[in-house]
Amino acid sequence: MDQRAILNHEFTVAAYTVTWVIQLTYLAFLGLKWRAEKRAARTGNALRRQADSGAHRP
Amino acid sequence: MKKLGISLYAVVVIALLVWGFYQAIYVAPLDAMQGEIFRIIFYHVPSASVAFLFFAISLLGSIGYLTWRRSRPEWAQRADAWALAGAEVGVVFCTVVLITGPIWGRRAWGIWWTWDARLTTTLVLWLIYVSYLLLRRFAAGPQVQTLAAVLGIFGALDVPIVYMSNRWWRTQHPAPVFGGGEGSGMDKSMLGPFMWNMLAWFAWGVLILALRYGVERLHQKNAGREQMEALESRV
Repeated sequence: MDQRAILNHEFTVAAYTVTWVIQLTYLAFLGLKWRAEKRAARTGNALRRQADSGAHRP
Repeated sequence: MKKLGISLYAVVVIALLVWGFYQAIYVAPLDAMQGEIFRIIFYHVPSASVAFLFFAISLLGSIGYLTWRRSRPEWAQRADAWALAGAEVGVVFCTVVLITGPIWGRRAWGIWWTWDARLTTTLVLWLIYVSYLLLRRFAAGPQVQTLAAVLGIFGALDVPIVYMSNRWWRTQHPAPVFGGGEGSGMDKSMLGPFMWNMLAWFAWGVLILALRYGVERLHQKNAGREQMEALESRV
């Protein structure tokens, strides 16, 4: 393999790697955001239930 | 049932991406002029196509939000979620385009970047949508969604300019491979791998877009509930 072919190969690998790093990083970011929103929803529901039960207490 | 559907779709998408990678690396022949560096087209062009499609979804979402924000608030919120999801996922794909392009250009042209019409208009498109996301992230108040929708509509105006730029102005960027008139097109041996990668990246994009939309709807519901609670606590 000549120098030109080696460099072409390395640049192609770099382009494919960068694409996957960007896409998977974004997927991980979405996963974290999803988890945070789910947690917020759960906490909110728990607080609401607590407040409701407190409101009905004589 | 919904979870099962998403999981099955995700499996199909992963299979398509693996198959697309195999086609791009092992099936597509070497380009006579460019050699192996040509294979970057299998990731670069589908990413650009998906970015354009998602900016169009953002445009439709923005128009929907402005249309329904007073008459149908629930529809408007859904439209806004599509607008945000389209813009954000579009920016991710556009980032891929703006990085893989210069990697190819460094080997093919000997330079990382030039202020060519296609490159410059793509960078401007990316900057407009990044500003859209920054506006949504850092601005506060009831007008944010409206301002973002207006910006989203103006941003989408750049998409046809980007698409036509290497037809209107012949500068550094290669002439269009598809729809470029006489002499354009791709050899059959390369067309198959290209189409598989196009399909795979579209399928991946739709999966990510649907996830982003779901996260935004969850966020909207949480924000709405918090507002209600704040109002109730004042009463």
